[in-house]
Amino acid sequence: MPLGGDDGDDGRGNPMKGLLKAIAIAGLALFAALAPAQVRLRLSVWDGDEALRIIRDRIVPEFERRNPGIKVKLENYPDYNLYHQKMLITYAAGIAPDVVMMDLNFQRLAKRGALLPLNTFWEKTPGFDINDYYKEIVDSHSYKGVCYVLPRDIAPVGIIYYNKKAFDEAGIPYPDGTWTWDFQERPELREKDFLWVCRQLTKKTKAGKVTRWAYSNGWPEIWANQVAFSTGAYPVDNPEDPTKVLINDPNYIRGYQFASDLMNKLKYQPSVSELTTSLMATGQQLFVQQRAAMYQNGIWEVPNMRKMLKPGSPDFFEWDICLAPAYGPASTNGKRVSQTVTGGSGYGIMASTKHPEEAWKLTQFMGGEYAMTEMAKAGIAQPAIKELATRPGVWCPGPETPLEERYPANRIATHQAVPFVRFAPTSDLYPEINNLAIKGLELLWQGKKSAKDVLTENQKLAQDRLDTLREEQQLAPFNWGLGGLVALAIIGSILFWVYKPEFGRKLTRMETGDNRAGYRFILPWIIGAVVFATGPMILSLLMAFADWDAIRPAKFRGVQNFVEAGTRDPFFWKSLQVTFTYTFWAVPLGIIGSMLLAMLLNQKVKGVTVFRAIYYVPSIASAVAGALIWRRIFSKDNGLLNNLLYGPNETWPVGKWLTSIYEKPDNMVDWLNNEQTALPALVIMSLWGLGSGTVIFLAGLQGIPQFYYEAATLDGANNWKKFRNITWPMLTPTIFFTAVTGFIGTFQSFTQAFIMTQGGPNGSTMFYALHLYNNAFANVRMGYASALGWVLFVIILIFTAFQFAMQRFVYYEGDSR
Amino acid sequence: MPETTPLGTTGPIKPILSDEERYKRAARQAAVGAATARFLMWATLMIGAVLFMLPLYIMMVMALKTPAEVSGSSVWALPKVAQWNNFNIVLTNPNAPFFAFAKNTITIATLSTLGVILSSSLVAYGFARVDFRGRDRLFVLLLSTMMLPAAVTRVPTFVLYTKLGWVDTFYPFIIPAFLGSAWNIFLLRQFFRSIPRDLDEAAILDGANHRIIFWKVIMPNSGAALATVGILSFIYTWKDFEGPLVFLNSPEKQTLELGLNTYRSLRAEQWELLMAGSVLVMIPLLVMFIAGQRYFVKGIVMSGIK
Repeated sequence: MPLGGDDGDDGRGNPMKGLLKAIAIAGLALFAALAPAQVRLRLSVWDGDEALRIIRDRIVPEFERRNPGIKVKLENYPDYNLYHQKMLITYAAGIAPDVVMMDLNFQRLAKRGALLPLNTFWEKTPGFDINDYYKEIVDSHSYKGVCYVLPRDIAPVGIIYYNKKAFDEAGIPYPDGTWTWDFQERPELREKDFLWVCRQLTKKTKAGKVTRWAYSNGWPEIWANQVAFSTGAYPVDNPEDPTKVLINDPNYIRGYQFASDLMNKLKYQPSVSELTTSLMATGQQLFVQQRAAMYQNGIWEVPNMRKMLKPGSPDFFEWDICLAPAYGPASTNGKRVSQTVTGGSGYGIMASTKHPEEAWKLTQFMGGEYAMTEMAKAGIAQPAIKELATRPGVWCPGPETPLEERYPANRIATHQAVPFVRFAPTSDLYPEINNLAIKGLELLWQGKKSAKDVLTENQKLAQDRLDTLREEQQLAPFNWGLGGLVALAIIGSILFWVYKPEFGRKLTRMETGDNRAGYRFILPWIIGAVVFATGPMILSLLMAFADWDAIRPAKFRGVQNFVEAGTRDPFFWKSLQVTFTYTFWAVPLGIIGSMLLAMLLNQKVKGVTVFRAIYYVPSIASAVAGALIWRRIFSKDNGLLNNLLYGPNETWPVGKWLTSIYEKPDNMVDWLNNEQTALPALVIMSLWGLGSGTVIFLAGLQGIPQFYYEAATLDGANNWKKFRNITWPMLTPTIFFTAVTGFIGTFQSFTQAFIMTQGGPNGSTMFYALHLYNNAFANVRMGYASALGWVLFVIILIFTAFQFAMQRFVYYEGDSR
Repeated sequence: MPETTPLGTTGPIKPILSDEERYKRAARQAAVGAATARFLMWATLMIGAVLFMLPLYIMMVMALKTPAEVSGSSVWALPKVAQWNNFNIVLTNPNAPFFAFAKNTITIATLSTLGVILSSSLVAYGFARVDFRGRDRLFVLLLSTMMLPAAVTRVPTFVLYTKLGWVDTFYPFIIPAFLGSAWNIFLLRQFFRSIPRDLDEAAILDGANHRIIFWKVIMPNSGAALATVGILSFIYTWKDFEGPLVFLNSPEKQTLELGLNTYRSLRAEQWELLMAGSVLVMIPLLVMFIAGQRYFVKGIVMSGIK
């Protein structure tokens, strides 16, 4: 019997029915009131081990306890670049998380409407006051006056870690943050003058070799920007919407030159190669090893410092932090003029969320007092809420704080540093502009070029690029109907090309059978190609003619993408050249190397099975670990490669010869930081992966029937003849394979450059595919990246076709001939 | 004529050897030559092996150091006290549960490898040994699918997988594997084309069709090639980082390579744990390689063909 019946006689014709229904409704309402429907929110972060532990074990459970109706699913993507890429892609596909960790890169999403403005939420939230947060970081996470990221921490780099022992030894009082710097030393100020302090703290041997530096930092731009910003310079005219690149401003140039001089002329700071080629930020290492008396970086180094400097351990020394010196020429009359760079992060709400109110609750909690306190106690993040940053026992050590967590005692310096922070430009155009602005800075840090030369040239490049990117183009929307027709036409013409030779060809009965059998065998690939390959490939081909960012509707750009690549893209030709050079070294060397190795490993030599495993091990090692190790191998001082080339006393001839070419007058080669050697270094690194190719060649060698050799021996053939007439021809299919796929793969390679050099120094390892990747995901110019992709496609296609045309040398034993 | 210049007028007189002596001397020389050659090969391999092991040595040593030693001591220095506990930490870290991640990784790698071997060998056989309409040009299309950088097709592919409901499942790594992978198809095609025709022609005379030739002639004779494809694709999937990061969301579904990156996060690197984890993640692959070695160096059973 149907319960409920028609709507018409409801509750009238049958009183029982009406009663039942009323009870049901009341029950439901009661149920709903008592146990509100569960809302599930997805929260994404890029945190590492320690921060993740706190979020997962303490912050999220506490939020769920306070908000019984909301369940949080925590997702962690432990790779900063891929994290941002993933947020973009998931948003484009409509399955983005609800609440996401964000930082200054937020504009990319906010500008395209993918993040919700937070102002509307906090305005109607009683008790919430955005003024509790440092204004500086709220402003920098706003775009056109609207805030998109609720900050969880702020990280001014305007603090200096100092070794108390070093100050004691030099007989100068510990810095209290009231010191200043000027372009010249001002001895009359004594310990209040930074350069004077540096001179006191530097230790040298009689020969003039520095044994302890006065100062080091996390990366050289820290000091350069601090100087430039403090004298009123800034890289662009408007941080969130730049129109002019100002890195050729005299103050900017002066600041950068001063930073270089600190290393190369005054020698208060170690040269940059030591900071970049080693495994960790060497500046910190030097500080921990007491080889640098001061170290400038953000507060985030504290957990690491604490681990390495445990009170009571033999390596321990007393240390603390203080405010970085301010710019203090006579003209400032003692007023503190200082600007330092800073970072920070927070949480935002993706516009695709179905539960904006609950998402705001979570955001507010993640960027709120409880969460910040937890993070601050662990020493991970300086609270973005002013009051928390100053309350004892939270961020600053209090009486309850255990001994280990008391370092550094003067944590209030991080709070004092906030008024002087200056954020990097937040515009989503800036990453690409910055790539050009910092191009070749290595040469400045190595003292090989002047700041004026580098920055003047870069300004032109960057400004030109900015103009291109800003060009307000009146573009028509992409015509998808026409696009679909074009797609069909392309598919049609491909099929026409494939089957044209077959037109009018009649098959015999046996051929018909073969034809059917053939298609049955390749059916899996046909399905895969139709379902998974064709769609994305055709779409990207269409987008090569469009302006498209994966979020907003595509606009038709005609051939403008290709024209831009050929005429206005500062990296296009350079990256092609880099890629060709790399490919034409790495592929042949790889093929020859792995073939010879395979032939050796195919001999009956003692322990050959062990050798095979050893040579293959690098191919199975994790890429991330491998990259770190290789950085140590290529490092200038004490790197393995230089140890082998220069010998113990730096006297061996090979090394000297290399020096005479690359590092005049007398330095060892600084592989990854030298424009001429960075790419060769990557080629050397690629040879470490010979193992995969070797395995393929080993298999190829197994395919040669043994009796061919036996027959040849009977005929009296020597080893060379056997190689020439048996091994070589029988290996040609394998060689052909490794050549074709080697070129296809290597033309597209970018991982090495991505993790080792990021395209530097001075663009010398800017692989084409890396440039493409940057355009697709850092600049979110998918249309342009597609155009780049299809240019590469055509290059590879022509190249492969050429190889197939040369295929006559390949001998297939199984081909009927 | 110069050729007829009388012998013996100038130069030393050559001793006259009997055939037997001459044979013995040649044999002795050959033996010495072979031994020398073997030693040279061995020495070359040894030097190369040391070079190839050095980075690994650094990795292992670093895995056993304390954080202070990682930053403070030379890369070459041995740890003062080996910190075996680093391995323990990695194995028991609830943020990156090692064994759960290992299970996911093994599942993905095993299934996708099975799929790749099966589908790629079928397709490769078609391209290598069957004549069908448009074969060679279709093969060009197959190769061309490898020529477009993945960054360009990532967004449409992701949208496609979303529509199929595959995001946050293992399907994106498994199903496409069963539909052939261009690289492996090409590799196997090269091998299949090198197998002499004699046997399948004999089989055809016996009335065998392509299905029988594939299973009874080609597959049994391709042990080395199949083992190669298997091991390379297993390792590729095992080490894949971007794929799992893009297509998986849930923490409990992650793979070992993703887990490793927990120790590498921005500004909070834990090198010693990263290295310990890398060693642990590598061991199963190494064991598999050593165990699988005899298949790809002894795989071929060609003796039946003549």
